[in-house]
Amino acid sequence: MSSDNKKWFSLNIGRKNQETSSSCSCGKQSGGCGGHDHEEIKHIEERKDGFEQVFDVKMNRRSAFKQLAASLAIGAGAVSTSCSMFSDDESKEKAQIDWEEQFKGNYKLMTDEEKKATVDRLVRSYQLRTGKTISMSSKNAEENVLFGYAFNISKCQGYMDCVSACVEENNQDRNSQMQYIRIHEMKDGNGFNFNESDDNYYHEVPAEGHFYMGTQCFHCDNPPCVNVCPVQATWREDDGLVVVDYDWCVGCRYCMAACPYDGRRFNWSKPEVPEEEINKNQHYLGNRLRKKGVMEKCTFCVQRSRAGKNPACVEACPTGARIFGNLLDPNSTIRWVLENKKVFRLREDLGTEPKFWYFMD
Amino acid sequence: MNNHSIHRVVCISFIVLLFFSCKHGDGEYHGVTDKIKAKSENYHGTSLSSEPYLEGVETIEITEGEHSFLIPERKSQIKSFACTECHSKPLSQLQSKDGKKAHWDIKLHHANENTMNCVTCHDGNDMNNLKSLTGNSIDFNNSYNLCNQCHTKQFEDWKGGAHGKRIGGWAPPRASMTCVNCHNPHKPHFETRWPARFNTQIIKERE
Repeated sequence: MSSDNKKWFSLNIGRKNQETSSSCSCGKQSGGCGGHDHEEIKHIEERKDGFEQVFDVKMNRRSAFKQLAASLAIGAGAVSTSCSMFSDDESKEKAQIDWEEQFKGNYKLMTDEEKKATVDRLVRSYQLRTGKTISMSSKNAEENVLFGYAFNISKCQGYMDCVSACVEENNQDRNSQMQYIRIHEMKDGNGFNFNESDDNYYHEVPAEGHFYMGTQCFHCDNPPCVNVCPVQATWREDDGLVVVDYDWCVGCRYCMAACPYDGRRFNWSKPEVPEEEINKNQHYLGNRLRKKGVMEKCTFCVQRSRAGKNPACVEACPTGARIFGNLLDPNSTIRWVLENKKVFRLREDLGTEPKFWYFMD
Repeated sequence: MNNHSIHRVVCISFIVLLFFSCKHGDGEYHGVTDKIKAKSENYHGTSLSSEPYLEGVETIEITEGEHSFLIPERKSQIKSFACTECHSKPLSQLQSKDGKKAHWDIKLHHANENTMNCVTCHDGNDMNNLKSLTGNSIDFNNSYNLCNQCHTKQFEDWKGGAHGKRIGGWAPPRASMTCVNCHNPHKPHFETRWPARFNTQIIKERE
């Protein structure tokens, strides 16, 4: 087989045929440069999944040994279970799933069938392990959709209902009390001073002489977190959502450092959610259960938004301060806000182009 | 061909490649605002709909200016509607010392006494409807028309979608709460209360 059509990323060690680079020299993320799309499509016409992607690479002895060593742990386990005369069908299936999951490709580069296959494997794996059935979606970005968000600073009362709803919806780690959203209590007259604001207050709200401002992932159109990822485990989808493939992330936290808005969270320990509190309506790129050592962040509730629903924070807010919608629909409420209210974004000077606007009454 | 000309050809083709590898203006946007503008020019809808999420919510469609959207139906949500079930006689005849008191729990905390009292909105002669400042009848389902007599700015924002919470999803059709779904008309301000959560982990980390 030819390795010209590969769609995964690997170091070019010991291989003769150099690929022509299709990267763009203008460095602009927004929309990308025209003219490459066709080339890329041709490039990935012949696709492979699973361990084909890993094994069907011409490699020299050294890299082959490296590959084998890295996979030895899982491989040995899987092989011993699947070949064992004593283990039952279920544990063989489990081993088979682990094997295939170990060697699957980057979600960004998968075909729809491959996406469905990995989602099916994850659902089955959860079923085998816990006896419970979850539903997991691999729904792609809808055409003619670009998600945007507006936050009314005058309306937010600091109740933090959004934070609670977000934690429950997105199966965030309860032990470390991870939260994607932060509500900053700011003193009137000091402007947007994040250094002097408190995002962990506990008193009756709204407090006299204060206003409230929420931050979360802004789903930048030119996201710095995406540029720094060394393994391309995070990227911007066509509907504008900046997402993470938790199975491809190596946990280097470059993205966390690159984000100027503190939008990203890291799992320092194994995330734990009580079984009865797990939200079983999941998306591969969204609220499926994470593991230790990977990044996560707000996805505008991809499992909800791609189904036409509002994110959990928007639904939970009792004040109507949170507005979500399709930026490409000229009749949407988000467009009306952008066109009729005085809107601004945080640190616009950085050129990150957040799709999260603030406004006041 | 000598070595020189080969070099030249390579150089020139490289420069040409550089120019063509980045077709500006053909799908590239300098900023998200440009992108929204360009991409929404040929907008022809999506396959998504909010309708499944509006099931179980009885709504009515209203059109105000250039905006058309759904709001929750109100009359079926008012416990003691229709008012004329009790208000069969004029108010003066209902008021007596021995009769059972009704609406004893309602105190008006809305504007001041000079501006508002019960009959600013309610019509003693037609209890099943509300009335405007000029005495026109307003249906309970369209009570926003009563509010917008004073709250004109909020009304503009509400029509556009900057004020008032959305029901269902972001996808069309749009359904929004009407004024009285969030504000008690007799006591329209929001109460102070405790936040929904407190993060003890952050406190530990800050120590």
